[in-house]
Amino acid sequence: MRHTQTNSSFGKSVTGSRIPRRLIAVLGFAALFATAGAAQTQMSPSCAPGLMSRDETESGTLLLRTSTPGCYLGAPRVAADISIEIAGPIARTKVTQRFENPANSWVEGVYLFPLPEGAAVDTLKMKVGDRFIEGQIKERQEARQIYEAAKAEGKKASLVEQDRPNVFTNQVANIGPHETVVVQIEYQESLRFEKDRYSLRVPLVVAPRYNPPPRAVVADNGDSPRLSLTDPVPDRDRLDAPVLRPEWGKMNPATISVHLEAGFPIGDIQSDSHAVSIVRSSKTAATLTLKDGQTATDGDFTLSFSAARDAAPTVSLLKERTGDGDYLMALVVPPSADQHVQPKPREAIFVLDNSGSMEGESIRQAKAGLLLALGRLKPTDRFNVIRFDDTLTVLFPYPVPATPENISNAESYVSSIAASGGTEMLPALLAALNDETPNDTSHLRQVIFLTDGEVGNEAELFSAIANKLGRSRLFTVGIGSAPNAFFMSGAARAGRGTYTYIGSIDEVGPRMAELFAKLERPVMTDLAAHWADVNDAEIWPNPLPDLYVGEPVMLTAKTAKLKGTLLLSGRLGEKAWAARLDLSRAHDAAGIEKLWARNKIAALDDSRVLGADADQIDKAVLQVALDHHLTSRVTSLVAVDVTSSRPLTASLTTRSVPLNLPAGWDFDKVFGKERDVDIQHADIPAGLLKQLDGKEHAENAVRPADAPMVLPQGATDSRLLLIAGVMLTALALMLLGARRKFAGMRS
Amino acid sequence: MIDRLRLLAIGLLLIGSSLIGWGLYMPAKAALAQILLERAWVRAQQGDAAAKPWPWADISPVAELEIPRLHQKNIVLEGASGDAMAFGPGHMANTPAIGRRGTAIVAAHRDMQFEGLGQLERGDLIVATLHDGSRLVFRVVDLRVVRANASGLDPADAGPTGARLALVTCFPFNGVLHSPLRYIVLADRV
Repeated sequence: MRHTQTNSSFGKSVTGSRIPRRLIAVLGFAALFATAGAAQTQMSPSCAPGLMSRDETESGTLLLRTSTPGCYLGAPRVAADISIEIAGPIARTKVTQRFENPANSWVEGVYLFPLPEGAAVDTLKMKVGDRFIEGQIKERQEARQIYEAAKAEGKKASLVEQDRPNVFTNQVANIGPHETVVVQIEYQESLRFEKDRYSLRVPLVVAPRYNPPPRAVVADNGDSPRLSLTDPVPDRDRLDAPVLRPEWGKMNPATISVHLEAGFPIGDIQSDSHAVSIVRSSKTAATLTLKDGQTATDGDFTLSFSAARDAAPTVSLLKERTGDGDYLMALVVPPSADQHVQPKPREAIFVLDNSGSMEGESIRQAKAGLLLALGRLKPTDRFNVIRFDDTLTVLFPYPVPATPENISNAESYVSSIAASGGTEMLPALLAALNDETPNDTSHLRQVIFLTDGEVGNEAELFSAIANKLGRSRLFTVGIGSAPNAFFMSGAARAGRGTYTYIGSIDEVGPRMAELFAKLERPVMTDLAAHWADVNDAEIWPNPLPDLYVGEPVMLTAKTAKLKGTLLLSGRLGEKAWAARLDLSRAHDAAGIEKLWARNKIAALDDSRVLGADADQIDKAVLQVALDHHLTSRVTSLVAVDVTSSRPLTASLTTRSVPLNLPAGWDFDKVFGKERDVDIQHADIPAGLLKQLDGKEHAENAVRPADAPMVLPQGATDSRLLLIAGVMLTALALMLLGARRKFAGMRS
Repeated sequence: MIDRLRLLAIGLLLIGSSLIGWGLYMPAKAALAQILLERAWVRAQQGDAAAKPWPWADISPVAELEIPRLHQKNIVLEGASGDAMAFGPGHMANTPAIGRRGTAIVAAHRDMQFEGLGQLERGDLIVATLHDGSRLVFRVVDLRVVRANASGLDPADAGPTGARLALVTCFPFNGVLHSPLRYIVLADRV
């Protein structure tokens, strides 16, 4: 009986030990699997999927620096054709881009492209094989979702998004190995009219921009100043496109053709930027093509023309009738300013950007322009000079009289300035707008700002200008082959001044002279439009801006039915000015509706600078953009092929098409020596584009685009180990205890 | 019979205690690593570019993450591999850098640095200090449990303010076995 009892108690122990043993086995296996699982979920390659480290690189692959140090990307080639139709004061541009996939894998092409200030993309077409697919305007997020979904499903898709009003990105998904996809976008803008000449500029490069690092700012909300953190460039990642090194040769060739139908007899036609052949088909029409056939996209294309002598119209009225009403565009050239008005003395604050991006021809142009300006000052004027990079120097403690001695001091100072460093524009702007005598009406206070404007914190700068302007007027002078026109003209608008563009050293004299004419002579102010028989007109811009000598009044309006007359009035210096326009004489023209919508969006966006509610603005802009089929901050164009072209098993890698460095840019100055060390070490042979063909293998792409991202394992095995360990120890102790009891019983 | 039993008991005792030792070693190693990392981080902030937490360290710190509610500071390492995460929270390599446009994902173990993650609430602040000394403040906007392979997180998602930060750890918090579930704290740049 005893024995049985003992036996049974032993049996119990054995049974008890069997379970933990099994448990141990199970736990042990579990631990093993868990470790293996953890190893599987490791994101072990240090580069993101599709990127390569230098070691993984095969020869002949074009490597592009990415945001991950040590990781590189191959680059597909792009060709572009630009065809421009000018009808009266409106230019419609069609950009056709060819994406070629040089690799043996499926890629996504990402291409930043520049657009002129004030232009809006309204059409997107994609050619896949023989078919054209037309893009639809969608709310930005929705468009991106549609694009991403199509990309994941292996369909050809294209997405045109606006990053800045003058920088758009075009993404094309699922380009097959060695396949070509043609994407076509169309945009419209109005010609600039100044000094009796119509002009157009087609930007061909997105210049690399200096984006200030995030920093703490003190926000003063009335009673208690509050420290907050702001990144002045919230979307810096999107704007960082890789830049080709000059020795790699230039890519992205573009062909350009222009069809001009002026609506009046044309005088002369010229392009300051490119050699062009001009064929005149009639008195009012001409065709332009590039003499070289094609151009590398490393500078902007400019075109200007004038009316034949005595044929210049002083009024042009264009209208477009659509389903929801009539649209009007009016362009009126006021008579030349009265030469007898005595100009007021001026207080001129010159600001010179001597940051690294100005290195080379730009700083020479800027200094030449500034020296000219100093020479134009009269003894009754006052002036000061400020220079900035990421540091700031204000030459005189306060604006000093333009005495020969002061001017000579300033001239020798300006001559000594060299370009280097970053572009911290805000402190310089604030220093320039800091007005010690805000109520002085005896002088016109003018800030003349010479820069290439390559900054990414435009919004911050605009609001500083709007808030601190006071009686000052801000005149921006754009320098270099590709100044940031969005910033330049936006700053001038916020500063109630004008924007002057200087494209080359030869233009410094004439362009600065035009600016001096504006600075020194009276302006047209208090412009207003009065309708005789229309009371529902919506006019943009609103209010009408001040005019400087030689500028036309330009307005767009929408109304249910155009009729009667439109009276324009204003003050030209001390004199009243008025013009009466007979609306029945307006000509029909296409594109007025889009021009009006674009002006409305620009006006809505400008109101943000002045403190309007951002959500309200976004809603209003969205409505206008959807109604009128325009891309904007809040809307994008998306096109998706209905049939899937990529086998879902093939992987997709994202690439950025490299941008050409604008002419006159010193590569090392833009990026700093230490930042391109990686590229120099990458040892990229010349003519590698040819070598690129067929050398890259699909295996370089790591992850199928449609595979979900897996979050890493978020637990160690320590708890499991502890529990197993404690249980085993407890079991061992139990066994020892049982043994002792058993031994005790037996004795 | 009895000797065999004794042998078994001693064997179990040995295995058990080594398991306990290993189980204690992992968090201890991580805790020590964080102390060394913290010191190296401070030295790096003071300008010592070659500062390493320990001489043979091959991990790279990317930020210091402070969670005021939990009274804790951790050095975030690049890469959410098991190697890096043994020492501290890891920044997933295929997501944008913290503060850059998009959603940066930082993962850590539920039984180590992210032990108290479940106590976070909407509106709590998370402060990341980067190499250059800049401090980025994030505010918690969402807390959720997801499957590891269907997280709903998109590295390209910039949120309403341009930059998001997602802290990820295993769920359930007191679980022992590996789980397919993850707990996500989603915060938007302030």
